[in-house]
Amino acid sequence: MTEALPSVALAAPGGRRMALPVIEAAVLAILALAPLVLQDYLTVYATRVLILCLFALSFDLVWGYAGIMSFGQSLFFGSAGYGVALIARDLDIASIAVVIPAGVLIGFVGAMLLGGFLLLGRHPSSVIFVSLGTMTGAYAADRLARGWYYLGGQNGIPSIQSMNIGTYELSEGPVFYYLALAILVAVYMLCRFLVRSQFGLALAGLRENEQRIAFFGYKVQHLKAIIFTLSGAIAGLAGSLYAFHEGFVWPNMLGVVMSTQVVLYVLFGGAGTLIGAVIGTVVIEAVSFWLSNSYQDIWPIILGVLLLLVIMFRPAGLVSLVLSERERVGSFGRPGRGGGDGTA
Amino acid sequence: MDNLFIALFEILSFGAIVVLVVLGLGIIASMMGIFNFAQGEFVLLGAYVTYVAHRIGLPVAVGMVAAPFAVGALGFVLERLVVRRFYAAPIVAMLGTYALGLIIRESVRGLIGGLYISIPEPIGGSLNLGTLHFSMWRFVIVVITALVMAGSYVLLARTSFGLRIRASLENPALARASGISTDRIYSVTFAFGAALAGLAGALIVPVFSLFADLGIRFLIQGFVAVMVGGVGSFAGPVAGAGVIGTLSAALPWVMSPVVADVLVFVLAITFIKFRPQGLVSGRGI
Repeated sequence: MTEALPSVALAAPGGRRMALPVIEAAVLAILALAPLVLQDYLTVYATRVLILCLFALSFDLVWGYAGIMSFGQSLFFGSAGYGVALIARDLDIASIAVVIPAGVLIGFVGAMLLGGFLLLGRHPSSVIFVSLGTMTGAYAADRLARGWYYLGGQNGIPSIQSMNIGTYELSEGPVFYYLALAILVAVYMLCRFLVRSQFGLALAGLRENEQRIAFFGYKVQHLKAIIFTLSGAIAGLAGSLYAFHEGFVWPNMLGVVMSTQVVLYVLFGGAGTLIGAVIGTVVIEAVSFWLSNSYQDIWPIILGVLLLLVIMFRPAGLVSLVLSERERVGSFGRPGRGGGDGTA
Repeated sequence: MDNLFIALFEILSFGAIVVLVVLGLGIIASMMGIFNFAQGEFVLLGAYVTYVAHRIGLPVAVGMVAAPFAVGALGFVLERLVVRRFYAAPIVAMLGTYALGLIIRESVRGLIGGLYISIPEPIGGSLNLGTLHFSMWRFVIVVITALVMAGSYVLLARTSFGLRIRASLENPALARASGISTDRIYSVTFAFGAALAGLAGALIVPVFSLFADLGIRFLIQGFVAVMVGGVGSFAGPVAGAGVIGTLSAALPWVMSPVVADVLVFVLAITFIKFRPQGLVSGRGI
């Protein structure tokens, strides 16, 4: 492994060192220019994809960086969606200054409670326990939402009013697209800063060898709980945007279906790189849009097969086709050599 | 008094269903150390085979007999092609089997659509004891579960094949050095676990009817039961299944079914949190 020999690896001159920023810039450019060439109804679809990218980032943080298998990420996505939908319906408030922070807060608190319960405590939790616990959480929330009349039961909450900024009504279209893009870029930069800080280094260590990180004196469980909570907040942000963009919320948003979706995006694109989550979401959603007319029935099966092939033969995902392993893992710190740390 | 007996019978029969589902999951998890996220879909597949047999005009019972063999054979093939790559990395195994489950689930969904298909019970009618009437089919499920459980126990604990399975679990290197083909043992064990799930699916489909998401519910229930009972032994998962099955069947009598369903999971997860080793903490048989 290259990270075991940082000085050697850093000294090696590599033409592909800068691949990651190039990919990021390219993706940003494509996303920024997309509405100019897409028809209106496609821009609406693309907005949804951007929001799902945000959701995928939240899963990538917990699984790709901290190695916490969360099969219940949709719990935070969906409960934030339901939360803001209720605020809009019952309190008649749809100001962006209220509902977005509310969504973030719901995700944050939800993840803090569930993560605190599953991850903290006297016994360190096994991966299987955490994945099962999160999956159960999502399943239980789905069941409750379906059976609870106040939340609209099977049908969810339809026709949520539009989000507004001051007096401006934000309906789907290019404006919403650029708002979503701006939020996505901001969150992406925040995550990028985070995973390349010392905290992120500790997280990556956690994923690679948890025991060793514990021996170094880190409070492993606390690190996990912190990143889990943070990712819950991001999922909440995505969920509240999604609710207002679609105009309705329904139980699937909370349940195992949605969790599976986000696992697919991230594993397909490449867990452990932030851009991988974005690429995975965009590629899967784009292809599924193409195929959904003619091959609607077999598309989910193809997705499953693709996922299996990726897990078996390309565990690092699509991104690893163009990104070297060294750059994927990332280099950290400042060794103080000339040009030693171009990508960090 | 009559109601009490009927309630007890309901609880017993549902507990038997959960035991049946969990047995295969528990055997794979305990004997091979991987958590098979496709197990719920093996249950679904067993149900589907029964449906296919019914549709082409065969008696339902024939489908039920065929189901474990069909699903077991598929499990054997999947183990050979896919699952065996994952033994070194349990987490990847989880994801890989999850993907397998997804493929099976979506294929079945593509074949039957979003429908709920009901399948008749091969043995209908009711069992009458004095003034009490029990569903005959549920009674048959209880009996078959007891037989399967006893059979599995005897196979693992009393036969030389079972001994070899346990040897491969305890110490694979030493088992190989002693001339046991651990590769083959793993394939057969996995196929056996899959076959049990297929049988479970075939037997319960008249009770629950066939729909594409049949497996998810049983997957979560099964995993929770295995972990409550404790991984690594034969008795653990069975005990866990008994507890979860009893609670799942008993609580709806005193509260709304949705709340009961959720409450069982919450209680179970809380229990596992504070006693990660489960009810039965030992290893082996």
